[in-house]
Parts: sequence; structure tokens; C-alpha cells
Amino acid sequence: MTLARLRSSMIVLYHQKDRLWLVIWLGGMILLWLWNLVFLNRPALAHLEAAFVNTLAGGLSVVFFSLVLGWSIGVSLYFLEQARGRVFYLMLTFVLNVVRSIPQIVGILTGYLFLTFFIEREILLNPYSQILFMAFVISLVVFQELVDLVRERIEYHKRLDFFHAMLCCGIKESRIVNIEILWKNSRSHMLHKLISIFGIAVFLQCSIDFIISVGLSTDVSLSNFPATLGSLLAKMDSKQDILAIGTVLSDIRFMGDLFVEHLQGISIAIIIVFTLLCVYKVSNGFVKRLNL
Amino acid sequence: MKYKIIEHSLSILFVVIIFGFLLVTIRGGEQSQQIAHTRLIEPYLKLNFIDFGSPLHAALFKETLDIFYPRQPGRNDSLVQAIQAFRQEQFTNPAYKTGDEKRGLTPLRLSKLGRMYLQFIAVYVVVMFLTYNGAQSLAIYRFVKMKQFKTSYLVEVIENLKTLRMGGSGALIRIPVLLVKAVVKGASYAVLFAPAYVIAYSFKTRIDTDTYFFMVVLGVVSNGLLINYANKFYTFLLSESHKGYVQTATVKNLSTSYSWGGKDGITYLAVLRPGRMFPTHVFRHIYVNGRYQYLPTLKEHASFLITGLIIIEMALNIQGHLGYELLQNILYKQYDVVIAIIVGIYLVVKATEIVVDVWQYRESQKYENRT
Repeated sequence: MTLARLRSSMIVLYHQKDRLWLVIWLGGMILLWLWNLVFLNRPALAHLEAAFVNTLAGGLSVVFFSLVLGWSIGVSLYFLEQARGRVFYLMLTFVLNVVRSIPQIVGILTGYLFLTFFIEREILLNPYSQILFMAFVISLVVFQELVDLVRERIEYHKRLDFFHAMLCCGIKESRIVNIEILWKNSRSHMLHKLISIFGIAVFLQCSIDFIISVGLSTDVSLSNFPATLGSLLAKMDSKQDILAIGTVLSDIRFMGDLFVEHLQGISIAIIIVFTLLCVYKVSNGFVKRLNL
Repeated sequence: MKYKIIEHSLSILFVVIIFGFLLVTIRGGEQSQQIAHTRLIEPYLKLNFIDFGSPLHAALFKETLDIFYPRQPGRNDSLVQAIQAFRQEQFTNPAYKTGDEKRGLTPLRLSKLGRMYLQFIAVYVVVMFLTYNGAQSLAIYRFVKMKQFKTSYLVEVIENLKTLRMGGSGALIRIPVLLVKAVVKGASYAVLFAPAYVIAYSFKTRIDTDTYFFMVVLGVVSNGLLINYANKFYTFLLSESHKGYVQTATVKNLSTSYSWGGKDGITYLAVLRPGRMFPTHVFRHIYVNGRYQYLPTLKEHASFLITGLIIIEMALNIQGHLGYELLQNILYKQYDVVIAIIVGIYLVVKATEIVVDVWQYRESQKYENRT
């Protein structure tokens, strides 16, 4: 009976690819952690755990900030567009377009410069506040995808009859937009976009932390920043672990050593790549399951 | 179209003015800071009998200061530190080390940056062309596979195992082949999603990773760029394939076969070739319409691609590249050079946006039968 139930739930899971890949990701992470528990030394494992948690916290914070920014600015643009004088609408659109044309890396580097400045002046010394600050900066360069989606969803629903019917019934336009259109009818679309944003956030955070391993100021040490997967990968021992992959590519006999002796760097690389792959699969599965 | 061009021009003007203002402010601030800084330590540096590199001399100097200014230990410490920092800068600052020209945005540095900038644009154009076409090829391949109702290799392995259990001997050969295919697919996914620096460091001991060729390869395959934009293009193809005109085209006897090769099917060459043509096939219309919708995505593609290229240049620490120069100048606080590089990068994105808008405009003219 239990076996049959397990089998049926497995079949259901197989057809719901987003949930399947979420389970695969969780399983993969647990398996990797167990492996590291056996073969990786304790201090390195502690660093890895902290970096993993910080990176995930950073990614989730980016998602939160992007949601707040995307929703509020998307709705504001809609109402400003309808206002009699469209000066504010044009100004906001113009600024958003300027920001959109700045490559993400440039925006984030600028954010890190500010972070360095704040650390120098002992304003942002708490590691959690540093993570939140950087998450906010990353969200500033990725949130526009959500603004586009919010505007697209409002435009789409505005063409439908229910919008005008509700207006005729005396329901406030802000309520129709925020509750009826965005909350009740666009939640899944926004969730899909937020999943993609999470993937981009993890990628950007790891990349930027890796490349600033040389530092962004001669006055502030990188050790003042909270550890993330990118910064941990930038350390010399992790880099040597990654370099060891090259040895395996030329001599397959070293494959065994790779997963025992070079665990720190390999684990970080696996976490980053596997997480990005799973986010992509979850996002695609989500679209398929909900017919978005 | 005019409105778009005006908007782009205004954006460029706005950014150039903002950064120009910042540039002037920073240069003015740096100069006055430098003068004030040097004025403070200059008299002490002129004392030829003191060797600040010697710990004994440094300690004696500190004690002398404490005697002359007994109630100002903070000021004395700062002064000693400022002298040490000045001496250290002479060793660490690349301008001093290489006997290069003065700090900041000098004509010589500008000409060097100009060369790097042109190289950066060349790499960008090549990678853009390759990823644009690569993303389309990957998306079309995936679309055709979907139309062929292909399941994953692992599911096929399970099905073959069932056949094997029932006595089908052919499955014995198919299973290892499918497993190899699954491993290759998994490895390809790993490469496509891997950040550039992970791939680069994996190969660093075996090949020269500082070449332009390697940079282009990394730019195309890594950072999830190709796979994500292929996915976007695939979404457009999928949504187009559900539209009514596809059924009309089918009724008009266009081919609907998605088998590889053959007279009516889709050829591998057609999928890979940049100027894709699928004559007498219904997919031709799906593709053309999907590509039209994909065009605006090229703008964010450009921005993400530049991010990827800068990450590659910075992560690999390749001297003489724009990304490396950007990071070094941030580190040594030469913000005027940083601003010049950022404005240059911004202009590349803007130029791409203008090209995309003009391209889209021309395509829309075709759609509206105005040409």
C-alpha cells in the first residue's frame, strides 16, 4: 500500500517538473553536505556552510527587494501615465531606461564601492546589514524585469471586460490593479519572474565576490565582507581545487582525489552550477505546469 | 522611430553630462586633496638624513615629533602613517612601478584605453553574433525535439530496461548509448551554467586561457548566457506555434514533418546556419515571427553579455583588457579613469539598443507591408 502510494506520488512529481527539480536540488545539497561532513575538515565545512547560507540569504533578499521595487514602480508608472501632466511619468521612464542600459556588473561594482566607503567610515559593520545592502544594490539592477511584467499584466487585464465592470461598480482603480489584477491574477507570473531573478542574483553575487577578491580598496580588507560562495571560491586553496579539475581532464585516475582531497573548491563549484541549473529547470517546469 | 532616437540621444547626453560633472568634481577634489596631503608631509620628506625605510630612523622620527609636539600624539601618529603610506604607494602604485605617466586620465592613458576599448568591442561583436545565432540554433533544436515527442534519455533507459526484461535484445545496445548521451547532456548543462571563472580555472593548467579565442569561447558558452537566451527564443517559438496562422499554413499544404533530414523534414544544416531558411515548411513562419518577437530581447542580451565579458576579464586577471583595467583603477582610486571606462561601456550598450531599434523598425515595416 505504502509502496503504491510512493509510486503514485513519484509519478505525480515526475509530471510536475518544478517540484521535481526542487526536490532534486534539496536532495543534491543534502547529499553534498553529508559527503562534506565525512571528508571535509571542520573549519572548511563551517566556512562553506556560512557562505552557502549567506549566498542564499542574499539571493532571497534580492528577490524581496525586487518584488517591492518592481511592484511599487510598475504600479506608480501606470498611475503616473494616466495623470494629467505626464512629466513625472516621462521622468521616471527616462531614469529607468538609463538604469536599464547600464550593465549589471557596473551597477554592482558601484554598489560595492559605496559598501567599501561605508565600512571605511564604520557605518556598515554588521555582516547582515552588509548582505542586505548588497542585495539591495543587486535588486536595483535586476528589478526592471518585474516592472515590465507588472505593466504588461496591467495592460493585458485592462483590455478585458472585468476591469471596466469593476470600475462601474465603484471599486477603486488602485484596488483593481493591486488586488484583482496583480495579486489574484498575476501571482504565478510574478513568482516565475522572481525564480529567474533569484538565479540571476546568485550568479551575480558569486561572480562579483569572486572578482573583487583582489579588493576594491587598499584601505578595506576583503575579510571584512561576509563570506559568500564567490568569495570562498576566490581563496587560494579553493582556486587550487578548481585547477585540479584540469589535471583530471588529462589523467582520469585523479578523479577519485578530486572528490576527497579538493572538496572545498569542488563543492562550491558544484553548489553554484547545480543551483543555477535547478533554478532554470524549476522556472521552466513552473511555466509548463501553470501554462503561463 | 524618431522618438526612440531622440530618447536614446537624450539618455546618452544625460549620462555623459552626469559623468562629466563627476569627472570634473573628482579631479578637482583629488588635486586639492593631493596638494594638501603633500604640503603636510613634504618638509619631512626633504630631510635627507632620515631614512624612513629604517625602523630605527622611523622610531627616532616619531619620538622627535612627540618631543616637539608633546600634546598631539594623534597628529604625530597620522603624520608618520601618512609618510609611510606615501612611501608604500611608491612601491604599490602601478604608475610608480612601471615608470608610467602621471595618475589620472592623461592623453597617453586615454590612447591605451582606446586600444583596449576597440579590442573589447571586437570581442563583444563576435560573441554577440555567435550567441545570437547559437541561442536560435539551440532553441530550434529543442523545439524540433519537442515536436518529435522525445522524452529524456533517462526515461528512455527505463523504458529500454522494461523491454529488456521482456526479452528485447536490442535494448542491450541502446541502453549504454543512451547513458552516454545522458552523461554528455548533463556535462553540457554543467558547462552552460558554469560561471566563466570556474571553467577558466579548470583549464588554466592545460591551456593558455589568456587568448582572445578562449575569451570568445567562454563568453559564448559560460555564465548561462546561451542557455537562457535559447530558452527565451524557445518560448517565443512555442507561443507562435499555437497561433491560428500555423493551422492555416498547414491547410495550405506546407510541410509539418519535424523529422530530421528528408525532403519535408528539418535539416541539421538549416538549424545551424545563420540565415535560416525552411522553405515549404510551416516552421519557417513560426521561426520568422518568433525571431521578430525575440529582437527586443537583444537589448538585455547586450547588457548581460557585457557583464559576462567584464567578469571574464576581471576574473582571469588578463592585463591589458578593459575589465582588468577597470578593477585596477577602482583599487587604486583613479576614479576619473573608472568613469571614462564606464561611459565607454554604456555607449556600447546604447549603440546596440539603437541598432536593435532600427532593426526592429525595419522588420515591423516589412510586417505592415510598407517596404
